[in-house]
Amino acid sequence: MAQVVLRNVGKVYDRKVRAVEGFNLDIRDGEFVVFVGPSGCGKSTTLRMIAGLEDITEGTVDIGGRVVNHVHPKDRDIAMVFQNYALYPHMTVFKNLAFGLMLRKMPKEEIRRRVGEAARLLGIEQLLERKPKALSGGQRQRVALGRAIVREPQVFLFDEPLSNLDAKLRVVTRTELKNLHQRLRTTTIYVTHDQEEAMTLGDRIVVMSNGRIQQVDTPLNVYRRPVNRFVAAFLGSPPMNFVEGTIAREGQRPVFVGGDWLRLALPADQPGVAADLARHEGRPLVLGFRPNAMSEHAAGKFAPPGGGNALRLATTVVEPLGDKIDVSCQTPAGQRLIARIDARDNFPAGQTIEFFLDPEHVHVFEPGEFGPNILRPPA
Amino acid sequence: MIGSARKRLLIALAFLLPNLLGFLVFTAGPVLFSLAMSFTDWALTKHNSFSSTPVRFVGIENYARLLWGDESGFFWNYFGNTVYLMIGIPIGIAGSLGLALLLNAKSSPAGRGSKAWGVGVALAVTAISCFGVWMLTTPGPAPTELTAVKSGEIGLTDLTVFQVDRARSNAAVLAMAVLGAVVAGGMAFGSAFFRTLFYLPSLLAGVAMFLLWKTLYRPRGGLINAGLEPLLNWITHATKQTPEWVWKAGAAGVFGLVAMLAGLTVVNGVRNLGSGVAGAAALFGRVAWAATLLAAGWGVAIVLWRVHGWAADGLKPPDWLIDPTYAKPALIVMGVWCGVGGGNMLLYLAGLSNVPPELYEAASIDGASGWQRFKHVTWPQLAPTTFFIVIMSTIGGLQGGFEQAMVMTGGAAETRVLAFYLYERAFKGTFELGLASAIAWVMFAMIFAMTIVNFRLGSQMTND
Amino acid sequence: MPEQPAQPRTTIVGEGRAGLPISRVAVFAGLTLFGVTAAVPFVWQILMSLATLTDVDLLTQTGFPPTLLPSNYGLVFERVPFAKYFFNSFFVAGWVTILQVITCAMAAYAFSRVQWPGREKVFLLYLGTLMIPGVVLMVPNFAVVLGLGMFNSYWGLIIPGAFSAFGTFMLRQFMLTIPTSLDEAAAIDGAGHWRIFTEVVLPLARPGVIVLAIFCFLGNYNSFFWPLILVKDVNLRTLPLGLLVFDSSYGRETPLIMAASLMAMVPPVVIFLLLNRYLVKGIQLGAVKG
Ligand SMILES: Nc1ncnc2c1ncn2[C@@H]1O[C@H](COP(=O)(O)OP(=O)(O)OP(=O)(O)O)[C@@H](O)[C@H]1O
Ligand SMILES: [Mg+2]
Repeated sequence: MAQVVLRNVGKVYDRKVRAVEGFNLDIRDGEFVVFVGPSGCGKSTTLRMIAGLEDITEGTVDIGGRVVNHVHPKDRDIAMVFQNYALYPHMTVFKNLAFGLMLRKMPKEEIRRRVGEAARLLGIEQLLERKPKALSGGQRQRVALGRAIVREPQVFLFDEPLSNLDAKLRVVTRTELKNLHQRLRTTTIYVTHDQEEAMTLGDRIVVMSNGRIQQVDTPLNVYRRPVNRFVAAFLGSPPMNFVEGTIAREGQRPVFVGGDWLRLALPADQPGVAADLARHEGRPLVLGFRPNAMSEHAAGKFAPPGGGNALRLATTVVEPLGDKIDVSCQTPAGQRLIARIDARDNFPAGQTIEFFLDPEHVHVFEPGEFGPNILRPPA
Repeated sequence: MIGSARKRLLIALAFLLPNLLGFLVFTAGPVLFSLAMSFTDWALTKHNSFSSTPVRFVGIENYARLLWGDESGFFWNYFGNTVYLMIGIPIGIAGSLGLALLLNAKSSPAGRGSKAWGVGVALAVTAISCFGVWMLTTPGPAPTELTAVKSGEIGLTDLTVFQVDRARSNAAVLAMAVLGAVVAGGMAFGSAFFRTLFYLPSLLAGVAMFLLWKTLYRPRGGLINAGLEPLLNWITHATKQTPEWVWKAGAAGVFGLVAMLAGLTVVNGVRNLGSGVAGAAALFGRVAWAATLLAAGWGVAIVLWRVHGWAADGLKPPDWLIDPTYAKPALIVMGVWCGVGGGNMLLYLAGLSNVPPELYEAASIDGASGWQRFKHVTWPQLAPTTFFIVIMSTIGGLQGGFEQAMVMTGGAAETRVLAFYLYERAFKGTFELGLASAIAWVMFAMIFAMTIVNFRLGSQMTND
Repeated sequence: MPEQPAQPRTTIVGEGRAGLPISRVAVFAGLTLFGVTAAVPFVWQILMSLATLTDVDLLTQTGFPPTLLPSNYGLVFERVPFAKYFFNSFFVAGWVTILQVITCAMAAYAFSRVQWPGREKVFLLYLGTLMIPGVVLMVPNFAVVLGLGMFNSYWGLIIPGAFSAFGTFMLRQFMLTIPTSLDEAAAIDGAGHWRIFTEVVLPLARPGVIVLAIFCFLGNYNSFFWPLILVKDVNLRTLPLGLLVFDSSYGRETPLIMAASLMAMVPPVVIFLLLNRYLVKGIQLGAVKG
């Protein structure tokens, strides 16, 4: 097992396309780190640089205390699971698992033992004599996993290993993966563009955009304290609502003003935050809140009438989810918001309704796609 | 990519080297070498280890000799032969398409074949054939008498009725056996059987096959004329039975009908004339089609017109390879027989299986008849395949014909093609390698030009 | 019994009235007709090859040789060194095939799996020569072989065929369809390029390799022009040459000629029947990709 350290890593394809820039990350021994971000943001590229499948244009990659920039993949002591599994179609499952061990001239006995062990762990013992063509998607996925496990490497690298599975299987396998990691405790780097997968699997999440790291933190921290608007928008489903406006002062209190329909008193208990808010007074800003920060009933310490956290919105569409419902609303300015509230029958669509917004769960960002969070910056 | 650029280059070179060496020495190098040689007077009889005459640069002299100088007579003659033999190409392509359509027809009971049926019929055929062979090979009076016929002691007409009947029944049993075997195979293995059977001739095309056809083409004792003779006799007989004016009227009628059709095609084309290049191309296509129709009609009409006259002297099958008039048609017939079931048919089959069935369904719902479905769905969908086939066949046709000429007629003048010409100049007599190189490059230029023309026409065809 | 809903009848709209027996029979009859046309010459060839010298000229009148002479086949081997011809054809075609497959597969690997500077340019050079017709290469290749001292030798018959731009192109196209993640997985598993080539890419490119091998073998087995200009020695003659010479010296002995040509036809047929499925696919693949 080993820690992985990336220092100022960058990648430029064909001297033209910049895929990754200034990537700095310390991955602890045994940690499960997830790279997440929209398509094309450079997740795979980073992973492949760690694997040694792409040369590293800038910076250094260090695995287990050794800089591996010019080390062949086979000598990096890593194992990788590919999105399409990359099982050798002409070999049986057994041979697929054993291939890497055979190339390392491991004694036959040992190979058989390890393959058997991995197969037992993954429940694929009865498939060992089959060829990949005769396996289901889920079984193939396990074999790919098995091929990584038998090698007992220092680091596991996964590139969207679940994206070829159907939704149900994906959830089940996700749990199993987490189990497996807790059992083996191998350092793991996992790439996905699915934010739910990222949240559930990672000890820490690395959110990327355009080849740059936006934020590295535990799933809950990233969710609760997104560093900027991009991260806030990327994580969470349905996505965060954003309303443009400015900060004004009402007595001691900073208040977010959005048009003539929103006046929200902001909590500014920490001194640093209060000062920050004060500095932005009068400038254009963006208020962000997750759909579940809204409710039909007043709650929290800014209860009406004083808090001004009541929003009158026209509802358009109602989507029941079970114990919750998603309500699409329209602000008087014509902007669309989504509220996730407790379910009830006969929720009126096409009427104007009063919602309450919990100020404890709002964020304020500077304008722009990557505007920093000034209300709740990461600790 | 793993490893540094330098290392990857070294690895790639290691993998590439054997091939690259061969490629440079036997392909890329020779191309340049050949082009250079075509401007020299290099001939092995003049320039060899015994003489120190230097090879001279002669400019375009070789080309001039070929195209309008002392060699032009041969060159254009052989070029004409080559083009004549290429008549077989469109016939073969049409045949390939026809066979592919037959093989692809879903209505065929030969779809997938049924083992039980096929094995049953096959057993029956085998049994009958064994019995037939046994019967046929039992010694009887026939052989000796036939030997006598051959040695000229008695004429064929002197054979007894029994003997002639016996020959007929032999042939009948044989024909039944072949027919039965084909039917049985078709029943057992379905269209795969026919596909394989159709493919065999093209698989085996080569010296061995040409030797076989050489015997089939023998004027006497050859299978083809043996088959044609009774047919022609029957036609002679039938012709004599009917008055001459019937035939002439038939000829006139056929030609009139064809002329009318051709005229209608052109008139329709003019009436629906589209704009621009596409319109012109469409009209050109129609005119070409009408001309082809007229030519074919004219041919049939001429034959009908004259047949009575010919029949008066009795129709005789030709001497095929020996007769200068018939040597090339003989090669064309053989070429078509060899080629129809070959690669082109397989390409058409692949093309047909790629036509989305919904297109046919949509066309049927729109009320298209079988012919219309072919014209508006199948044929346009096959256009890229046809395009590819036409290009490849043209390229092959211009270069081909050497083996046939060599094997079938021993290189008789009327079957000599450009490839033969090259062989003759380069590897016989004076070994004029310079001139031969020029021949090759002129052929290349022709192939290139033809391919470009094909591309132009083809892209127009596939565009509309 | 409750009334069953009418079964929806599946008709194949594209192909006329599918159920109509007349069209089915017509199609089968058409296929049979052409099938017989394709078969008859071969059947006739067999009959001719079994007839006596006298009977063969009367075969069209007797319809069947009254006496069967299988010994004709043995006689061929007595008249000419037919076994030697056979051996030469197999030897030459076999070696050409082996070498060509190896060199082309290796080159295709370099063109499809390794990234190196100049790769596209060199490949373009290969592509460019695909359009050059074979006749252009005949004369200069003859000169090269002459210069290398390979005239009238096995070397001259084999070496020029051991490389092929077309084969390289075909295998490259084939290898491009194999996902690169397999190479990467193998590299991580610890395989070097040679191992990736022999244990991953080559086995997966097998259908393409087999197609190339079949075409190469059949083409060289049938090859006529090149041996004709290159071979002077009787012992170097390949089958096509041998057959031609046999015909010009024993042309009147039809049964022997037919027996010889029939024997020459056997290997391609065997190969075809064994590997039919690859060949058909290969031809179709060649057109789609090429
Ligand atoms: N071989 C290559 N050559 C040139 N550009 C490349 C290459 N591979 C990737 N890129 C570019 O690098 C950027 C990052 O690609 P990468 O594959 O790392 O994205 P990703 O985050 O894995 O996306 P996805 O979620 O779609 O897999 C993209 O803009 C991509 O177009
Ligand atoms: Mg990716």
